[in-house]
Order: sequence, then C-alpha cells, then structure tokens
Amino acid sequence: MPEPAHILVAEDEPLAAMAMEDFLQRKGYRVTLAQDGLEALERYRNDPADLVITDMRMPRMDGRALVRELRGLSAALPLLVVTGFMPMEPGQDDLTSDIWKPLEILRKPVSPQVVLDTVHRLMTARPTA
Amino acid sequence: MFAGLQGFFDTSGFIPHGVCLLWKPEILALHIGSDVLIGLSYYSIPIALVYVVLKRRDVAFSWIFWLFAAFILACGTTHFFSIWTLWNAEYGLEGLVKGVTAVASVLTAIALWLLMPRLLALPSPAQMAAANDALQREIEVRRQAEQRYAGFFNNLAEGLFVVTVLADGRFAFDTLNPAHARATGIDPDTIQGRLVSEALPPETAQAVTARYAACVAAGGPIDYEETLDLPVGRRVWHTVLVPVRDAGGTIVQLLGSSRDITERKQLQEELVQTSKLATLGTLAAGMAHEMSQPLNIIRIWAENALSRLRDGDTDTARLDKVLTIVADQTERMGKIIDHMRTFSRRDGGETQLFDPTASVRAAVDLVAHQFALENITIDADLEIGETVARGRPLQLEQVLVNLLSNAHDAIVERRAADGEGSPAGGRIEVHVRRGGSPGTALIAVTDDGGGIDPGVLPRIFDPFFTTKEVGKGSGLGLSIGYGIIDAMNGRIEAANVDHGDGRRGVRFTITLPVSRPSATELERTHA
Repeated sequence: MPEPAHILVAEDEPLAAMAMEDFLQRKGYRVTLAQDGLEALERYRNDPADLVITDMRMPRMDGRALVRELRGLSAALPLLVVTGFMPMEPGQDDLTSDIWKPLEILRKPVSPQVVLDTVHRLMTARPTA
Repeated sequence: MFAGLQGFFDTSGFIPHGVCLLWKPEILALHIGSDVLIGLSYYSIPIALVYVVLKRRDVAFSWIFWLFAAFILACGTTHFFSIWTLWNAEYGLEGLVKGVTAVASVLTAIALWLLMPRLLALPSPAQMAAANDALQREIEVRRQAEQRYAGFFNNLAEGLFVVTVLADGRFAFDTLNPAHARATGIDPDTIQGRLVSEALPPETAQAVTARYAACVAAGGPIDYEETLDLPVGRRVWHTVLVPVRDAGGTIVQLLGSSRDITERKQLQEELVQTSKLATLGTLAAGMAHEMSQPLNIIRIWAENALSRLRDGDTDTARLDKVLTIVADQTERMGKIIDHMRTFSRRDGGETQLFDPTASVRAAVDLVAHQFALENITIDADLEIGETVARGRPLQLEQVLVNLLSNAHDAIVERRAADGEGSPAGGRIEVHVRRGGSPGTALIAVTDDGGGIDPGVLPRIFDPFFTTKEVGKGSGLGLSIGYGIIDAMNGRIEAANVDHGDGRRGVRFTITLPVSRPSATELERTHA
C-alpha cells in the first residue's frame, strides 16, 4: 500500500480546519493543520506536504504571503487557496496569474466534494517526481 | 422835619428857569421842542421794551428790560420837568425826579456790567442760525441712518429679533423683522411688548427663555441650534444672541438673529447617512469575509455528515455535534447581520444621554476580528468609569469606525510601501480617558501607519479632501465625523506621533463634554 498523500491545511478557524481534516482523512489523506501562514511554513519545512490548502486572511502571515514563500521553496507544489473574499489591492500579487500555477482558487463556502475533486485534479496533474 | 420838607419844596425865592433864558422865544422854542421830543422818545422806548418782554416770553434776563424801562422812563420825565421848570421854579421836585432817575441809572448800569459776561455768552442770532443748520443736518444724517438701519432690519433675509430684559429678569419681545415674522409665522403685532412666557406656547417659551437666560448669564454672545414648534411647524434654527448693556453695564436687551437650517440639517443627516453607507461599503468587503467563515464551516460539516449518513454511519453523538456546530455558526452569522443592521440604521432626530465608552467598544468589536485577520491588533483601554455624553450613540460609533478603518488603511498602505517580505504587524491603540479639564472625556485612536504629511494635516477635516486613490475614499468620512463631534459640543484633532520604536503614526483625539450619571440625575430633578 502506497504512502498516503500528505496535505497541509492552513486555516485559522479551528472548526473549519477540523472539518477539512475529517473529510480529507476519510478519503485517505494524511492531514497536517496549521493556524496561520507562519505555522504552515514551519510545518512544511519540517514535514513537506504533497499539497497545501490555505485560507487567505490569517493572522501573522496571510495566504498571499504563504503562497509566495512556498512557491519560493517549491515551484511544482500544488496549492489550493480557499477564500471567502479576495480583494485585489494594488501592488499585491494577483494569484490568478499563471506564474503561480499549479494553483487553484476556491470561494468559501466551499463544498468538501469540490475540494476533493480539486485536490485530486491538482495531484494527478502533478508531474511525477 | 415837616418844616424842612416844606422848605425843600418851597418855591419862593426861586425864579423860573425861563428867566435864565431871558424868555428869548427862539431859545425857549429850541429847549421846549428838544425836551418834548426827547421825553416822548424816552417814553416810547420802555413801552417798546415792555412790549418785547410781554410778547417774547423766552427772552433771557427779562428783569433787566424792566430795569431799562424804569430808567428810560425816569430820564424822559426829567426832560418834561425841564419844560415845567421854565415857568415854575419847582427845583426841589425836579431834583427828586432826577434823584430817582439817578438811582435807576446806577442800578441799571451796575446790573448791566454784572450781567455782561452772561450777556456776551448768549449766542448771537448768526450763531443760533449756524447751530440750527448743524442740527438740521445732524437730524437729516440721523434720519437717513435710521432709514438705512430700518432698511437693513426690514429687508435682510436673516431673521432678526429684539428681546427686552426686564428688571425682574423676565423677558419681553420688543420686535422682530419681517423676515423672521415670515419664517416663524409669528405676527410681530401680536407679540410686541408682551412677556415671552405669555406670547408663546409654554414649551416653546420655556425653551427660548432658557437660551435668553443663558445669554444673560454668559454676558456675551451665544450661538446654538434649536428645534422649535412654531406657527409654521417644527423647524430647526441656528440662532445667535448678543446682549446689549446700558451705560451702567446692565444687560437690558438681547439682539437675536436666527436662520432656518431645517433643510440644511436634513441634508446634513442625508450626508451623514451617505457617508455611513460609504463606510459600510468599505466594511462590506470585510463583512463578506466574516460571513463566509461560518457559512464555510456549516457547509463542510453538513456535507461531511451527509456523506457519512449516506455511507450508513448514523452515529447520533456525531450528528448532535454537527448540528450544534451548525446552530452555533448560524448564531454567529446572525450577530454579524445584527451589527450591520444597527450600524446602517438611521438615527432618530433627538439626542440622548449615553455612555460614550459603549459606542467606542461597539466600534472596536465591529472591526477587531476582521483587523486581526490582517494582522492588525487593536489595543483598547476603555476604563474611565461611568460617564454620560449628550448626542447620538450610533453617530459616535460611526466616527470611531471611520477612524479605525482609516487607521487600518494607513497600516495596509504603509505595509505595501514597505515592500516584499512577510507583512509586519500593525497596531491601533484606542483609549478613553478623563480629559485635562473637568467634565471632559478624551477618546484617542492612534495608529502606526506612518503618519500624515504635515502639509495636508490641516486639511484632513475638509469635506471631499482625500489622500486615497480614486474610488477608495469619498473624502467625507472625517469631515462628517468633525460635524458629528461638533454637534456634540466636542472637538476632534489630529496629530502625528512618534512611538519611539521606529514606528510612527497618527493620533486622532476626540474631546467630549461629559458628566457623571449621578450629577445628571441631580440636574434632572432640579429642572
């Protein structure tokens, strides 16, 4: 049996994080939770994930900064941004731009099934290491 | 003695004066003619003088005219006596007449000299005419000035009125100008000279006399806004009262000018509402995020549970937990909606006594969570004990939300300017403290967003002034905030601050008049 894929979830809402963890684990993934961008980065460095799901607005380090940091660490890491609201401030990174791919954006409230489908799509599109 | 007197008038031994003239007819004729003419002339002069005195009752020093009359009459008599003594040698009697004339002459001469300075002081007819002309001109100038001022009073669009301050401290209406009569619907004739308390309905009278008394107590001009029920209906007025003092310094009159600002007030309310909606607009983005969080939780938990149910998992404990989470999250959403609803509600027209700290706390609560997500913390120190201010609590909350979102924007902008790297934290300090002078509270909002260009600092409260990009700010927030605080008789100021640790920012300080609730209750029972 192959090692289950490892997904890191950065989400500051504990209830949302728990629910994500619950359904991802049920579908056979190994899940690590982080409460903000900084913690996610730390956890990723200690235990690199195969895919990172991140919220946009979080204390200490937000999703945008986390995406930039992670992309700096790995150009091929699939990223899934789940956000309720994404204002485009001038001078900020436009995450819809192709330069950030592989990256998908989902709007809250998000359906677990859609998350799963997206995770699956991102994982299969990933060039086999 | 009697014999002496008889001897005095005795003519025997004297010869008539005509003898001295040797009865020469031409000499006699000359003497007699002259004396008759002189005597008649002398007799006519006092008649003329007396006539003048009787006709001109206003003649100054009329007694000297009588003295002159007596003197000249006596002089005339001596001349007639000279004719008489030509034939009759009654020189004793003639001497007596001369003596009387002498007395009258001396008295008149003395009186004349004594009176001289006062006579000289009497204005001459030319002087009188000149003075008269000057007076006429003065009257004309005054008449024109009066006409001019009456013209101002009657034609100015500003409502003007004059109130008399009576000795007993009560107030009576003197007059009001046509503009004020039109604006208020009060007929000047019906209130002129009447006590204010009698000329107006009780509630209106009570409201205005309180202001009049305040002006007298202040001893100087006062300026206020008031809502009055008048014959034209309920209107809002901006009134300025100026006390007028008499020579002794007592306030005897109040001059008032009033402008009907009902429409402007309504417009202001609209503007406040518009700005509130604009603030709401900027908040809406954050609210979308706020709402999406619980909605997201509900959806994931619900779909998870559904998926488990379909897989045959009917663990009731788990279902209980999921439904509890769902219920809690809907309550959380309800609270967000409630707060937005409260914030966007139109405030009632009347001011009320309220706790300003509660408004500050509500504003902080409204944005704190959203700011925290962007790594902006709000340090709130709101403990100053019980105080009350007069105004509209939601308006103060609106001002605070506006200041907080400005602080937020400044921090976000500063971060963007700082460039790449993980965003540094931002901190907003909110303090409510007792003011330096008694009866005031200070509300301070301090950010570390880098501060404001000192060049634009004086303009930040100007309407439509904004440093934000097009579409980012209406430029109305601070000016409306200024208006709201001003209406509460408070003031709002801005200054750059250096936090000392490399961080700099802006501090907005609101100074509000407040009182302790107990004192207010006391005031109420006294009223």
